[in-house]
Amino acid sequence: MNFDDIEKEIIKIIEKDPEMPPERIAVLLQINVEKVKQTIDTISDTREKIMIVDDELDSLLPLKRALEAENYQVIEASSGMEAIEKTRSDHPDIILLDLMMPGMDGFEVCNVLKADSLTQHIPIIMLTAKGEIDDKIEGIETGADDYVTKPFDLGELKARIKMILRRTGV
Amino acid sequence: MISKLIFKDHKYNLLTILIICFFAIALIIFLGSRTNEEVQNIVQEQFNEQQLLLARQSTDGIEEFLNQKTIIIEILANEISDKPPDEIVDSFINVYNKTNDIHVIEFINESGIVTLGYPEENSPLGYDLYEKNDEWVFEKTRDNKETYISNPIFLLEGGMGVFIWTPIYEGDEFKGIVLVIIKISDISDRFLKNCKSQHEVYMIDKRGTILYDSSNRYRWGRNYLEKLGNESPRLQQILHQQMNGSEGTGYYLDMNGSEKRLIAYSPIYWRNQLWSVAVTSQVSEVDTLIKSIYVKHSMFIGVSGIFLLLGSFSIILLLTRWNKSLELEVASKTSEITESNELLKRANKKLMELDKLKSDFVSMVSHELKTPLTPMKTSAEFLLQNDPDVNVRREMLELIVRNIDRQTRMVNDMLDISRIESGNMRFRKDMLDIGEIINSAIETIKKQSEEKKINITTDIPTDLLKINADKDKLIQVFINLLSNALKFTPNGGNVEIKANESEKYIEVYVKDDGIGISPDKIDKIFNKFYQIDNTSTRSYGGSGLGLVITKSIMKGHGGTIRVESTLGEGSVFILTFLK
Repeated sequence: MNFDDIEKEIIKIIEKDPEMPPERIAVLLQINVEKVKQTIDTISDTREKIMIVDDELDSLLPLKRALEAENYQVIEASSGMEAIEKTRSDHPDIILLDLMMPGMDGFEVCNVLKADSLTQHIPIIMLTAKGEIDDKIEGIETGADDYVTKPFDLGELKARIKMILRRTGV
Repeated sequence: MISKLIFKDHKYNLLTILIICFFAIALIIFLGSRTNEEVQNIVQEQFNEQQLLLARQSTDGIEEFLNQKTIIIEILANEISDKPPDEIVDSFINVYNKTNDIHVIEFINESGIVTLGYPEENSPLGYDLYEKNDEWVFEKTRDNKETYISNPIFLLEGGMGVFIWTPIYEGDEFKGIVLVIIKISDISDRFLKNCKSQHEVYMIDKRGTILYDSSNRYRWGRNYLEKLGNESPRLQQILHQQMNGSEGTGYYLDMNGSEKRLIAYSPIYWRNQLWSVAVTSQVSEVDTLIKSIYVKHSMFIGVSGIFLLLGSFSIILLLTRWNKSLELEVASKTSEITESNELLKRANKKLMELDKLKSDFVSMVSHELKTPLTPMKTSAEFLLQNDPDVNVRREMLELIVRNIDRQTRMVNDMLDISRIESGNMRFRKDMLDIGEIINSAIETIKKQSEEKKINITTDIPTDLLKINADKDKLIQVFINLLSNALKFTPNGGNVEIKANESEKYIEVYVKDDGIGISPDKIDKIFNKFYQIDNTSTRSYGGSGLGLVITKSIMKGHGGTIRVESTLGEGSVFILTFLK
């Protein structure tokens, strides 16, 4: 059973019996209690969801802390494949995508997400140390909504995130 | 100008020379044939002239001879007019002995009887002209009072002779006649027999009587015209012209009609006699002469043609060789230019590759320098803008410090490269134990190896000879190699370090069972600016300068570094130190 199916089943059960404890639900669906709790948290969390994709954990961590301090729900992904999987499962409202990553780079991730009807509406901000015009053009052409050069100004990045979220009506 | 006339394709030049050569030969042949015609005419004329001169020479000699004899006889006749018979005979003997070719001198008295003669054996003494009815010439001479020469007739003693009748007068008194007989054979022997063998000579008198014929075709005394009958009309014409005293040349066909002959004839005028001498020769002789000239001329033309051909071929050969040497030179120069072009292209390609490597390097270094800045800046800004709890603050500060260290290492690498390039890398050497150096390096990267659960083992002999080296630099070498090994070895892998000592060297092996290096890239890993994966998808960070710095440090210690690797199985870096 995939995440979407689990989420739908849990919603159905809670609609019928809002007081049913997670343990009971886990028994009914024959899944882990923690998974049930995590799914309920996710369903009940109404904050805007941002996914940060970066193989450099040192880059990812301070940004995560800063965005959490702004009351965003932050999802982490340290590779392109992980980013695609989590986008499909967690439906982030916006993706901050690093360009240089092992395996699948940011351009490829962007292409995959923009080619998928389920994920193509999710705005993507490219984050990279590459600041050449060609890189920016390529990033925009692959469907990225914005392109921010590292090291970025934290206040500016937050403003851009807000602006894109407002524009997309999240 | 000449160069414009020369075809670029030397084959056309050769063809042109050959055409010119054949035109020259054709011109020589044409001029030669024209010249041959002229030569033929000239030779013909000259031959005719020569033959006429020959005939004229004979006739002049005969004419002079006979006239001289006639004058002598007339003088004799004048001298003996008043002499007694014995003195007359003496005079005859004197004249006979002093002049050649007189057959006999006779005295015929006024009655027509031969009374004296010398030599007596040729003299018909007592011969009476009246008695023999031969008196008409006697009487004619007496009456005309001048010398008369009778037509050549057969002599009683054989052969033909001509009779010279000279009257003797003492005043108006007729005393008799001096008769001198000259044999035709004596004349012909003296003047006609010495002609060249290829010529035939005949002599006739005004009646056409043959006096001499070197061919012995006709007997002398016969009439030539009668002998010819209707044969050879052209010769008959010529005989008539001879009998008329003409001089000239002509052609006729002999009696068989098979041979054309050239004839030159000249007259002999001797008092009342008219003779003619003709010299004939085969026209084929002229042709032979002309042919001989033709042959010589043809030989000249042939030799000229051969010389022309040889000259032309020599020129062609020279031109061909010249062309070939030029072609070879051009080919050589072209090859040199092509080679230098290739060198330039390769150099240019290498420069472009280097330029790209440099650009990639700058881009990569820029990225690597920026990468630690991002967390530092973000963390610092986060701390400035928020008031997180102590744990988060500590986390952010540790992150900042870690990235400052990272950037410091990067900057140090850059500085090392700069020192290597400028030759300013300094080494503070001491006698060091390699085992200790390796342990120090392992200690430094211990945290990384533990994070990736990579097992590092060493096999260093305890009695390994110490080496003279810079401790910090050598530790850096092993840190670089171990960091690479950790970086390119998957979690749970193994890294092994071992050393051994030979007679001249100490070798240290740093072996991993990581991803390995492909054969086409193994030669480039020690090149500056080269990092195997410099794309945006590269899995492993770093400036790519570690191995360059390592190689330079080894070189600074008089050692070497080499690598053996199998893609997918791992790599072995081998450090060699001189003992």
